[in-house]
Amino acid sequence: MNAVTNLALVPIPVARSPLRLLVRVLIGLALIGIFAQALWITDARPGELINGISGMIDILRRATPPAFEKFPSVFRPALETIDIAIVGTVCGVILAIPLAILAAANVTPAKPLYYGARAIIALTRAVPDLVWALLFVTAVGLGPFPGALAQSVHSVGMLGRLFAEVIEDMDMGPVEALSLTGASRTQVFTHAVIPGVLPSLLGISLYRLDENLRNSLVLGFVGAGGLGFQLLTAMNLFQYKTVSLLLIVTFLLVMAMERMSAALRRRVA
Amino acid sequence: MIVVPPMGRTLLDVNDLSMRFASGKVALDGVSLLVRGGEFVTILGSNGSGKSTLLRCVARLLHPTGGEIRVDDRDLTRLNGTALRRARRSVAMIFQHANLVRRRSVLANVATGSLGHHTNVWTSLGMLPDSELNHAQRYLAEVGLAHLAGQRAGTLSGGQAQRVAISRALAQRPKVLLADEPIASLDPHAAEEVMALLRRLATQEGLAVLCVLHQPELAERYSDRVVGIRAGRLAFDLPAAQVSGGQVAGLYNSLAA
Repeated sequence: MNAVTNLALVPIPVARSPLRLLVRVLIGLALIGIFAQALWITDARPGELINGISGMIDILRRATPPAFEKFPSVFRPALETIDIAIVGTVCGVILAIPLAILAAANVTPAKPLYYGARAIIALTRAVPDLVWALLFVTAVGLGPFPGALAQSVHSVGMLGRLFAEVIEDMDMGPVEALSLTGASRTQVFTHAVIPGVLPSLLGISLYRLDENLRNSLVLGFVGAGGLGFQLLTAMNLFQYKTVSLLLIVTFLLVMAMERMSAALRRRVA
Repeated sequence: MIVVPPMGRTLLDVNDLSMRFASGKVALDGVSLLVRGGEFVTILGSNGSGKSTLLRCVARLLHPTGGEIRVDDRDLTRLNGTALRRARRSVAMIFQHANLVRRRSVLANVATGSLGHHTNVWTSLGMLPDSELNHAQRYLAEVGLAHLAGQRAGTLSGGQAQRVAISRALAQRPKVLLADEPIASLDPHAAEEVMALLRRLATQEGLAVLCVLHQPELAERYSDRVVGIRAGRLAFDLPAAQVSGGQVAGLYNSLAA
């Protein structure tokens, strides 16, 4: 056995102090305490959940078999859901790119613009898309349009922040090198910044499209069209077989978009 | 054996240059030197002695607090905005890392060196003029990498990437070429290649080359003159063959400072 192996077998003494043990116990108790208060505030009643299982089974029984004969009437709302996500994402990306440039500390032209862009991004991100949808339903009426508007505005915040982070984290070497050739600010941007960050921006945008599709279902519950609106209507009318059909279509749509988005992200990486 | 041609006119004239940072640290204190067309001048000095600051001042990445930097008889220290951008076309710089756009082709990377000569809408939209792509092919051939024109820059080895960076500098059609530790991240073989290339370009293209190095033996072999900098001041400025080992040791020995 050589010296290196011998050294590897020597046990390393671990410092154990009662104080460290006490601190760990206190941290553990604190975490348990936080969880306990959360259960209390959320009024968690596991007993009622167990009692309610029979009701859920009854709904499931009434929801089968799904109303497949209504499939042709589901096609248009499904398309609406996809289109809400597409319009919301595309408009979000178009608006988020200039905002992200202003909000990225390493390329922003001026500090006031930086703070202004950051404020817009924070505001559009902080307000949930459901609230934006309610606002736009009030402004432009029911249908898919307010849903697309809500997703555009919310996507601006989400994408703007992520885009800005990508730009801030990019390799500044090529930017500096191109600036020294006498290239203009715009040329440096289009020839060094954009090619450097484009794959990341595309990846983030595709992920957002995937998210927007799932979110657009919820927006339908406040009148913003698509499958969500049909789902709410069917539930209100106790048409559980239609509900199960809509859930199957929703599941297939979300899965398809997730797969497509992941495949495209792999290609642009 | 390197054949050194007769030198051209002065292309870079650094006169009494000073640089004091906002922190109060004096990085350069009254540095003066001349570099003529076709001349290869190496700067030696320990870390923090002011070598890179000198190069960054000449490239106007830093604004010196005193003195003049004349490139082809034009004082860069007095220029700002568009005038400075135009003047920068005359001064190319290569860095320790090649700083290429990794996802673009080698040819496109080289052609971007010429962007300062084209201020039209198309180049602002990310396109490159056909004429410059043709020139880029020639510059790549000059560094022996024409066969890699269509390859992505991110796939190159360190030595190849540095040669592409030199091609990009050539596409800029400069008068002065600054090189800030261009071989610091290369293996000895690639380092020799890059040094030989820089030497050849100085001679053939009539460029004034100012190169920061940490390898005195390479400085002696490839340079016409060697400039020593210690604590922001010029320690010596001599023909390469006349620099003694003691003078070089003095630059790196902190007790001698």
